[in-house]
Parts: sequence; structure tokens; C-alpha cells
Amino acid sequence: MRAGFSRFARNRLALVGAGLLLCLVLLVVLSPLLYPGDPFRLAGPALRPPGGAFLLGTDTLGRDVAAEVAYGARTSLLIGIGATLGAIVFGVIVGGLAGFYRGAVEVALMRLTEFFQTIPAFILAILIVAILSPSVTNEVIAIAAVSWPGIARLVRGEFVALGGREFVLACSGLGAGDARIIFRHLLPNCLSQIIAVGSLLIGTSILIEAGLAFLGLGDPNVMSWGLIISAGRAVLRSAWWICTFPGIAILLTVLGINLTGDGLNEALNPRLRDR
Amino acid sequence: MPFNISRRLALALPLGLTAFAEARAATEPKRGGTMVMIVHPEPSTLAHYSVSAGNIPPIATQVYEGLVTYDWDLNPQPNLAKSWEIAPDGKTITFRLQDGVTFHNGQKFTSADVQYSFMEILKKYHPTAPVVLAELTAVETPDPLTAILHLANPAPYIMKALAGRDLPIMCKSVFEGTDVLNNPTANKPIGTGPFKFGQWERGEYVRLDRNDKYWKPGLPYLNRIVARFIPDAATRSAAMETGEAHFAGYSAVNYADLARMKSNPILGETTKGYEMTPALSVLELNGKHPHLDKKEVRQAIAYAIDRQFIVDNVMYGYGLPATGPLSRLFKTAGLYTDDVRKFDVPDRLDIANKLLDGAGAPRGEGGIRFGLHLEINSFGEQWLRQGEYLKQALGQVGIEVTLRSEDTATWLRRVYTDYDYDINEPFLSQGVDPVIGLNKQYLTSQIRKGVTFVNDSFYANPEVDSLLAAGMREQDPVKRGDIYKKVQQILAEDCPLIWLVDVQYVSIFNNKLHDHTTGPLGTQQAFERAWMES
Amino acid sequence: MRLARYVGYRLLLAVPVILGIVVLNFFLIHLAPGDAASVLAGESGAATPEYMALLRHKFGLDQPMSTQFFVYLLNMAHLDLGYSFRNDSPVAALILDRLWPTALLMLTAFASALVIGTGLGLVAATGRNSWRDNVISLVSLVAYATPGFWLGLMMIVVFAIRLEWLPTSGFDTVGAYNEGWAEVVDVARHLVMPAVALALFYLALYARVMRASVLEQTGMDYVTTARAKGQTERRVMTGHVLRNALLPIVTMAGVQAGNLIGGSIVVETVFGWPGIGTLAFNALQSRDLNLLLGIFFVSACLVVLINLVVDLVYVTLDPRIEI
Repeated sequence: MRAGFSRFARNRLALVGAGLLLCLVLLVVLSPLLYPGDPFRLAGPALRPPGGAFLLGTDTLGRDVAAEVAYGARTSLLIGIGATLGAIVFGVIVGGLAGFYRGAVEVALMRLTEFFQTIPAFILAILIVAILSPSVTNEVIAIAAVSWPGIARLVRGEFVALGGREFVLACSGLGAGDARIIFRHLLPNCLSQIIAVGSLLIGTSILIEAGLAFLGLGDPNVMSWGLIISAGRAVLRSAWWICTFPGIAILLTVLGINLTGDGLNEALNPRLRDR
Repeated sequence: MPFNISRRLALALPLGLTAFAEARAATEPKRGGTMVMIVHPEPSTLAHYSVSAGNIPPIATQVYEGLVTYDWDLNPQPNLAKSWEIAPDGKTITFRLQDGVTFHNGQKFTSADVQYSFMEILKKYHPTAPVVLAELTAVETPDPLTAILHLANPAPYIMKALAGRDLPIMCKSVFEGTDVLNNPTANKPIGTGPFKFGQWERGEYVRLDRNDKYWKPGLPYLNRIVARFIPDAATRSAAMETGEAHFAGYSAVNYADLARMKSNPILGETTKGYEMTPALSVLELNGKHPHLDKKEVRQAIAYAIDRQFIVDNVMYGYGLPATGPLSRLFKTAGLYTDDVRKFDVPDRLDIANKLLDGAGAPRGEGGIRFGLHLEINSFGEQWLRQGEYLKQALGQVGIEVTLRSEDTATWLRRVYTDYDYDINEPFLSQGVDPVIGLNKQYLTSQIRKGVTFVNDSFYANPEVDSLLAAGMREQDPVKRGDIYKKVQQILAEDCPLIWLVDVQYVSIFNNKLHDHTTGPLGTQQAFERAWMES
Repeated sequence: MRLARYVGYRLLLAVPVILGIVVLNFFLIHLAPGDAASVLAGESGAATPEYMALLRHKFGLDQPMSTQFFVYLLNMAHLDLGYSFRNDSPVAALILDRLWPTALLMLTAFASALVIGTGLGLVAATGRNSWRDNVISLVSLVAYATPGFWLGLMMIVVFAIRLEWLPTSGFDTVGAYNEGWAEVVDVARHLVMPAVALALFYLALYARVMRASVLEQTGMDYVTTARAKGQTERRVMTGHVLRNALLPIVTMAGVQAGNLIGGSIVVETVFGWPGIGTLAFNALQSRDLNLLLGIFFVSACLVVLINLVVDLVYVTLDPRIEI
């Protein structure tokens, strides 16, 4: 792990990514201090261009875009990380069980995975939000529901490949329980892969959230970047700042996450190491 | 880019020259050309006789005509009917029909078509026509060119609803003996209008072709009308700005873009043509809610809202603060009054707070009196903006609002079937007469579970019921005006709904297109006189 | 011959899978609250109770769920996708209408993303950590992180309105009635922006996957062996690395098959492209369940087919795998 860290630290792009993420975390932590109160508050006159009292201008109702973007960071990260964790937990359970027990369990679980992959992902997410009603929790559920099959397939594949390795066979020969083999031997061995794919999933989840909000399916009570963009879209041509800043925020965040994820991947993935 | 250069040249022309060019151009209609209009959203069907969604008439009224049209003072003018007379008792209306009119399938238009359209199609299968035609008992056809409407009681409002938009005339032989709701011409309409249905490429456009055998000599001028469907608002505006589309009515272009488009030399803007399309944005309050069942609480909510703010920031200046349950457009008919309880007063927040204090809803922890859910209207992004504002406005007087934004089906079910709502923010078309707009909203008999956009606030006031019943029958315009004045005053006092904005629609057009808005129905009547400069 | 038998076997295997999907879809979709009649009545403004009842009867919504399910299964048994009452049109016709624009957009975007993306990935990997690797990695990451609808809106402003190079939206110029070559050019001009908006995301993805994959392969023993045998770098790449490095790309393409239909909703919306994505979105919004089920069915069939193709490509690329 230490070696992995120093490899990561030598990767300049990865450091840029980590720096971007650090800024984001700072923004989340500091936003209540910088912009106390409700980001939905009508702070001043509508459609003020950036500058003066309003660093990033105001939106159609006169809300401070800077405050909106600052608070939106919280929601985007929450949804991105929440949905990714959900997808990983569910994907690991399904993929792990299928890869470990094989046979009928594998067939049944993999058919379920395939079923979720036959429905167009974005439409499935919309359908789930429609069934559950739009809220942050339900958006997390919807995005996790369309993201887990990828993880499940990955984990199953790794488990199948590792299951035949000598050390696992040796463990079971020594009478180690299933749980012990799974948690002590199999999972740690595919952790690096899960981390690499998972970090990318956070970015994808943030993009899906923005897309849902763009189509009017976001949670209207919680400030998010997608919500700001969908609100500013109507005035894109006359008030460019409303759409542009949250758009850039999404871009930088996803970029930061992906750069960091790439760095982690290169640092942790044993197959990429020695060159 | 030659197009670009010529546009700049046109700008550089001496003022007098362009003015001359316009004057000459505006007086000499020219035959030919294709007009592209933007219709949004794309209709699901063109069955104008059984679905009354607002996006159908701009296309359907090119094909289906009505017995009359209307002049700018909203008086009926001859169309398929040459003339008419109303019996003194108001119970029969006799129409003399135009001779020599044929449907697009070659069939001759006769009184039998009027009879069949009214009695067998509209009265049975139309969502709103049964209200207008409730008193109609029979259509007598003594000869092919005479149709006599027999009414059980006088129904003065019928004379306001005879345009092709509201009561279209269909061809009897096309429908007779078929299942009307599954008629094959649902999406290939056949009418008498100036344009024939050509083709519908779903997701793209509907093409309408000139009816060369149109019964009005020399008309229409255009060869073709194409109705284009573009889902994205910014892209719709762009299509107008590049000249790809020539007309966008019924607010198909986002209000937010209008200021910029007005400065575009190739485009023009008009708010005319919506004189018969009154509409209000409102809040419906659930009268069974433990706080909303009190008149004082409802009034307090009405006081707490700054309507001018909504007009300025949500509707971008198009519209006026609503004063009561009727749109100002009913002023022409002498039915509107603003002599009612006024909510837009300087000390409105104080009044609201006092009313709430007195209604047993004191401020608690954090200054909050009680919480309410607001159901966001799913028919457009501006309603979410309005909801966000309302949340702030009601927060000022201690009412904590939580927004709920669901898709159309879920929203309508929650509000009109499950009644699982506190505040709802619909947008209400008011129809051509108060009989349509007021009756469905405030009559006790209109508390109908599972039916959309009727009395879901459980408002039941016997006085209003009897006044609205009297208003339906009263033939004397002055007396009728008094009845509706009383209704408006009672409703404004009771506040079963909160009236927000008296909506103003807008049309954007390319300056090459002329005579597109020739009457109060604007986009929702045939473009028979419209013509294009080449 | 063995191949034909294998394909037949796989297709046979797919039948119960699709049947299961069809059943699951039916119940999943019916979880959505509200119905088509209330949406239609809602769009019509007010309505009478009689009108609502009439609509529900016409749509078959007054039947018990079991009957609706049975009717649906019976239709599917005849490969009949049913009727969209909202659109007054058979479901199959509605889908077929949109198939060509969807295929054109998705295949153009997909193919260009695949070719350019793998190319860039290869270039990046062969010069690992050089400036061209960094530039390609950064650019593809930025492309990957850009919301498609946002990019689309920006492109319309620049290329359609400011520069007037391209039309804003649509499939072709309506009312122009071009024929032959003129029509091809016209459609192509309309295709450019939506295809670019879509392709950039996939292009970035393939470049990333390809880069990682090539790097992984070059670390393998067989490459070291080949190098040790004195083979040229070029020969090592084309002969060994490329073949194996393409496998994850093929897998990735297969996984994205499901997105062929739904992945472009947002871009279709921005550019007014008459694709299946917006059709599905509208069907869901208006609870046009027959239409939505039909689209899900077509999508499932497509995914199963593409998975089969992917497996066949695998076989040709990787001689170790046998059928």
C-alpha cells in the first residue's frame, strides 16, 4: 500500500485530480460559513451578471448563483458517492455469490443482472424515479439500480478466476469457512479493481443526476448542479452564467474524480505496476 | 454566407426605403410558399373531436372549420354558416349554411354533417363540448342547407363556442357506422378547411397542403404549412432566430428568450390572437386540510404572495397579477370585475400574519406555524420556478413549504384521485365563457374523484351554486354581468383557490410572414390569409 | 457448420430469457402510478367523468390486471407488440418509424467513437507518460466529464446561430423535399452536431479503456518473450498486443448495447432528433405502457443479439476461446 501511495504521488495528473477533489471538499465544508442560510433564498435582483456583490451573478429569481453552486457540491457528491456505494454493495453481493457458489445460483443471479442490462439504463433510472417520486434518496436508489450490474459482472469474473488459484483451494482444503474465504481472501484480491471502477462510477453518477435534473426529475427541495442548469437552460442565451458555472463545476468534479481514479488504478492494479 | 450578408445589407438600407418596401409588401398578398410553424409539444393525436389538448388546434383548425369565426370584438362572423338567428326565447338557433362547400374527400358539406358532428361526436366523445352543448337536445335539418339547434334552456354561451377550435364540423360519412374513438381519420383528419392533411412524420413534423378546391375563392395563399416539433426550448428559439421556422404561437418559444428575439431584425412579436384564450395560473388548496379549511388561513396565503414578482420573474413580464377567479379578457363581454377583496396591498404581510395568528396557527419553534406540501405542475419548467418562489414567500409568514415534483401521471393521480395534497399549482384554461371555467372549478357537483382539473378543493357554497346556475341561463348581458360580479366577490372572499397570474400568450413570427394573426383565435384558427414574402 | 449450430443453440437459449424479461417488464412498468387516461384528460384541460370512463375503456384500463397481463402475453405470443391508444397507432409502426434515425445516429456516433477512440488510446499507450499521452488522457477525461446536453446547447449557439454553418435541429430540412445526393447531404448536415455530442463521451471512454488495456498487455510475459526473441516493436504491437488489447473494447461495446436505444434521450431532446429514446421517454411520461413495453422488448432482443455477436467476435480475436 505504501508503495502504491508513492506511485500515486509521482503521477502528476493524479495529483491534479486529488487537488481538484480537495477544493471540492473544502467548498462543501466551507459553504455554510461562506453563504450562511438557505441557498434558495431570494438574495437580490434577478439576472445580475457576475461581479460585485454576487460573484457568479444571480439567477431568474434573484438567488445567488455562487451560493447555489457551493451548496450544489454537497448534493452532487452525496448522490455520486451514495449511488456508487449502493451499486458496489449490491454488485459485490450478487457477483460474489454467483462467482463463489457457481451452478444454479450463478445462473439465476447472472440472468437477473442481464435483465437489468437489457433495459436502457437511463430510461430505467427515469422509470424508478417515476415509481418512487423524485427525492435525493430515490435518485441514489435509481442510479445505483442502473450501475450495479457492471460491478456484479466484474466481481463474478474475478471470483471465478481467483477461485481456482492454489491459495484459495488450499484454504478450503484446510477447512476455512465460506465467509472467511470470501472476506479474507477473495474480496481483498479484487478490491483494487473495485476501487478503480467505483471511482469512475462516482463521476458517471453525478452526470446521470445532472441528466435527470435536466429532464425535470430532480429533488426540488435540495440544491443541486443539475437543478441550477435546468433552471438556467431557459435563459442560456441571455444569462449565460447560470448554466455555465454549475456546468464547469460538474466538469471539474468529474474530471477530478476520474484523474484520481486513474491514479489509484495505476498505483494499485498489480498488472499495471512493473514497467 | 450570402444569407448573412443580405441581412446586414437590409439593415444598412435607408430607413425610408425599408419603410416603403414594407408598406408595399404588406398590401399585396402573394400566392405560394411554405410556412414552418413550431408547435410544442408534439400532439399525441390529431383527433381534434375527442381530445382538446392545446397543441392540437394549431394543426387541426387548418383542416376542420367551425360554423362561425369571430371578429376582434368577439362577435360571430360567417364561416360555414352564412347567417343565423336566435329565437326570442333563446331555445332555438337557426343556421343557414354555405352552399358549395366540400370536404377534402370530395363529399358535399350539408346540415347532416352539422347534426352528426354535434349530436353523435362532440356531445358524446369530446372532453369539454358536453358542457357547452349540455342544453342541446336535437339538431333539426329541414333541408341540406339549414340546421336548427334545439335547446332545453337558453344557452347564450353557445354563440361564443362555434369556432373550429371549440366545435369543429366533421364529415358524417367518414364516421357513420364506425367506432368514433378508433376512427382511421384520427391522425389523417378530413375537413372543409383551407389546408388538407398531408403527412405526419412522428417526432418531426406534420405537413399540411393547400386545399385547391377551398370554398373561399382565391384562398389560401400558402402552398403548404409544416408544423415542426422541437422538444428543447433553447433549440426552438434558435430555429426562429436562424429563420428555419416562421411562426411560433401559443408561447411555444420560452418567455425568457423573447427580450433577445425582439431585438432580432428578422423577427416580430405580437400578443394579439389570444383574446379568446383566457387562462389563469392558480393555487388549489385542499379544503379538507386542518388549516386550509379555514377561510382566514386561505386569505393569509393569498396576501403572502407577491403576484407582480411572479409576473416579472417567472413569466418574464408577460401577464398581469390576477385579481380574482376570472381573467381580464372577460371584460369585453362585461363579465369581469376587479371590485373584489384585494390582496396586492402594501401591508399585505402584516395582514397575513394577523390572520394566521387569529386562525389558531401561532408561530412555533423557528418561527414556523405549520408545514404544507406543494405539488409542482409537471407541464413546464416555469412551474418549478414558481414553486420555489412560493416556498420563500410562504416561509415569510411562517408556513414551511415542501415541494414535490412528480411526472404528469403521478401528479394528476395524487391530486385528483387520491386527494393526497395540500397545495396544487395548476394552470387553468378558462374557455370562451365563465360557464366553462367557473362551473367546473367551484360547483359543489364538480367534486368528482378521479376527474382532472375540477373542484378538488372541496368548495361547496350553495349561494355560488345557484348564482352559477342562473348565469348559465341569463340572456340579458347586463343582468348576466351582475350575476358574475356577485360570484367573483364571494369567491374572492372565500378564497377556495389563490389566483396568481392572468396569463398573456405571445406569438413570434418571421417578418417575411404576413397576415398570420387575423382574429382573436390567432394560432388556433386557419392561416387562410397568411402569405410569405419571397 | 459448428458455428451455425452454436448460433442456433444460443438463440434457442435466448427464448426463455426474453420470455422472462417480457414478464418482468410488464410488472415493473405497472408499478408506475397513474394511468394514460388521466394524462390525456389532463392535457385536454377539464374532462367529464363519462369521458374518463370512455378513455379507460378504450385503453383497456378498466380490465383487471390479470386480464391485461393475459392479453399482453397472447399478443406477444403472436409477436404482436400491441396498439398505442394514445398515439392512435400500432406500436410496431411507431417503433419502426424511429428505428432508422436512431440507428443512423447511434451507429455514426458509435463507429466514429470506436475507431477514433481506440486509435487515440493506442497512441497514448505507446508513449506512456509522454506529452502526447498526457494530452490525450486529459482531453478524453474532459470530454468524458462534460454533460452531453450542455455541450449540445453550446454547439447550437456557436455553429448554428453565430456561424450559421449547420441547422439547429431535426432530421432533415422539412418541406425541402430533396432527393438523391442532396437528401444525403442534408441529413448529414443535421447529423453532425448530435453525433459529435454523443460520440465524444464514448470516444473518451474507448480511448481510456484502450490505453489501459494496451498497457496491461504490454506488461504480459508473452510480450517480453516476443521482445526477447528480437521481434520489432511494430510486429509485437500488431501481432500480439493489439489483438488481445481489443478484447476489453469488445466487452465494453457489448455492455453498452443496452444504451443504444436509451442512451441518447438527452441529446435527442436537445437536437429534436426523432429517435427511440425520446419516444420511450414520452411513452413513460404519458403512461403509454404498450409502447414502452414494445420498446423494452425490442431493446432486450437487441441486447441479446449484440451479446451473441460480441461472443463471436471474441472467438475470432482470441483463439484460446472455443465454442
